[in-house]
Amino acid sequence: MTAAVTFSDVRKVYPDGTRAVTDLDLRIEPAELMVIVGPSGCGKTTTLRMTAGLEEISEGEIRIGDRVVNTLDPRERDVAMVFQNYALYPHMSVFDNLAFPLYARGISKTEIRRRVERTARLLELDGLLKRKPRALSGGQRQRVAMGRAIVREPQVFLMDEPLSNLDARLRSDMRAEITSLQRELGVTMMYVTHDQLEAMTMGTRIAVLRDGLLQQCGPPQALYDAPDNLFVATFLGSPVMSLLRGRIERERNALVCMLGGQRLPVEGNPSMPALNSYVDREVVVGLRSEHLSQADGTVLNGPQLRGLVRLTELLGAEQLVRVDLPVATLTGETHGRSEVAEVTARLDAHAHMAVGELIDLSVNTAHIHFFDPTTTRAIH
Amino acid sequence: MARSRYRRTTLLRELALIVVAAVFSLPFYLLIAIALETTEQTYRAPLSFPLSPHWSNFSQAWNTGGQAALPRSLESSLIITISSVAALIALGSLCAYAIARRRGRLSDLVYILFVLGIILPVQLAIIPLFVVMLHLGLVGNYAGMILLNVGLLMPLTVFLYTGFIRTLPRDYEEAARVDGAGILRTYSRVVMPLLRPITGTVAVVVGFIVWNQFFEALIFLEGSRYQTLPVSLYSFAGDYVARWNLILAGVAIAIAPILAFYLFAQHQLIRGFSAGLKG
Repeated sequence: MTAAVTFSDVRKVYPDGTRAVTDLDLRIEPAELMVIVGPSGCGKTTTLRMTAGLEEISEGEIRIGDRVVNTLDPRERDVAMVFQNYALYPHMSVFDNLAFPLYARGISKTEIRRRVERTARLLELDGLLKRKPRALSGGQRQRVAMGRAIVREPQVFLMDEPLSNLDARLRSDMRAEITSLQRELGVTMMYVTHDQLEAMTMGTRIAVLRDGLLQQCGPPQALYDAPDNLFVATFLGSPVMSLLRGRIERERNALVCMLGGQRLPVEGNPSMPALNSYVDREVVVGLRSEHLSQADGTVLNGPQLRGLVRLTELLGAEQLVRVDLPVATLTGETHGRSEVAEVTARLDAHAHMAVGELIDLSVNTAHIHFFDPTTTRAIH
Repeated sequence: MARSRYRRTTLLRELALIVVAAVFSLPFYLLIAIALETTEQTYRAPLSFPLSPHWSNFSQAWNTGGQAALPRSLESSLIITISSVAALIALGSLCAYAIARRRGRLSDLVYILFVLGIILPVQLAIIPLFVVMLHLGLVGNYAGMILLNVGLLMPLTVFLYTGFIRTLPRDYEEAARVDGAGILRTYSRVVMPLLRPITGTVAVVVGFIVWNQFFEALIFLEGSRYQTLPVSLYSFAGDYVARWNLILAGVAIAIAPILAFYLFAQHQLIRGFSAGLKG
């Protein structure tokens, strides 16, 4: 059985006045994997804990299925939670850890044994049932924590940064495992993380939070392709979207974006209609690394930007090239150089790059992002 | 590298520790030596170890004495100590759990009251306490003595437990709550097992205090058939005023159970103490 989770105007204010979550409206559909992502202190864990019943709700309403759960005790909510440090009971064996939620619900011993063994098989914990948590590896502990959540067959799974204690390799394995497990069980899952990569790879949808405010919610690709504001744009994606200060001008009936002395036509960009009201005004221009490529300096390659190679980072299949452009940065910082902004381009690993050389970057203008510098909202 | 680790300072330190250990063992040596001597030897050469140990001192000390008979007071001491410690652990840990986990002024205030209880000497209130307990029929019996001990040592117990619980992460309890356990199940199945190190410390500290308790036991139990070992030994000293070999044989019998417990649980105890201190 799986249920939707609905937040209506949920607010959390701590006794000292700290606003952890402000007016959250969010609906997690049944069997959906919703990733709640944001920097530390953004209220994502508080949101999860309010859902679990470990934190009181100051205002608003949380529903699980059709039930309002605001004042219900955690055990009455039929949710299971995986904690960041797993919180496996150290004095109990793996079997007892898995069986604990079932004992607490007064299920018969034979049924408990059956369910624990089935869960252990599912998570490949069969041989470890007699061990204590301290005799397990990090990955195995993670599995036991997952098992303790699964064994009860709850309506909703709550995951609080469950992979942050694992090393990089194991993390990517467990990412895939959790996602496929969630699909297999067809259960609603709220997954909290600060890692944008986890969010992008795992979420059916992503909800981005910042300072307790929901910034944007949608499928990962939609958020990546069309971020609502500067925060979402720079939070998702690696390397981070490069931001430049530009100016919209009208040239013979067409709009162009001036970046320092260089000009980029905005023909074909989805923001173009809205940009009409920004003529002769400043905008923030966002460029993703994959929309820049190496050009040969001729007009055949379309719109181009010219800059100096400052740094190259070889990643094997490709290289990240940081290029200084003679454009004002967003923050006005000059890094000791006058009016220079940096953009990152993702180029072929075998392209010859030398630090300090001039480079021409061809820009895919259909994918340039424009933001209002005062509201930081996307222009479209 | 390995050879250079044993330096002269190490040797000196070891020698110093051996001397300290010898000084500490001296009373113990005297106790055993004198307990095995004849009365005559105790006056002639009390410090030399008897070449033909006089084991009958032990049976004589064990078998004589009316109200002060050792078997009976050993039984009293065991019953009072075990019951008091069990009650203190059960009630004290629950109380400390509530104090440590509840936020707010009330729990702070209650905590301060307990700390004050450690500081204030019991002797200040002994007369009114005695009068009240006499009226309630709690003088000269097990129930009264156990109740008194629980009251007197509750502050220390709560203090030790609270400090430990405050360092314990809440995650386990929260996990248990989400897993569907109520407060009592969470406490008994999850919290209490996590408190094992500090429970060991509390049992030893409080147990020793109760076992060795003399002043309160003298006032509340003397002359009754529930007299504890320290009180019995005290009257023993009165009865056998010049027979130190019998007195010390009695003392040896009195410390035997606690010594056995200590040797048996040594490893556990040291772990408990260091965990308690870290907490």
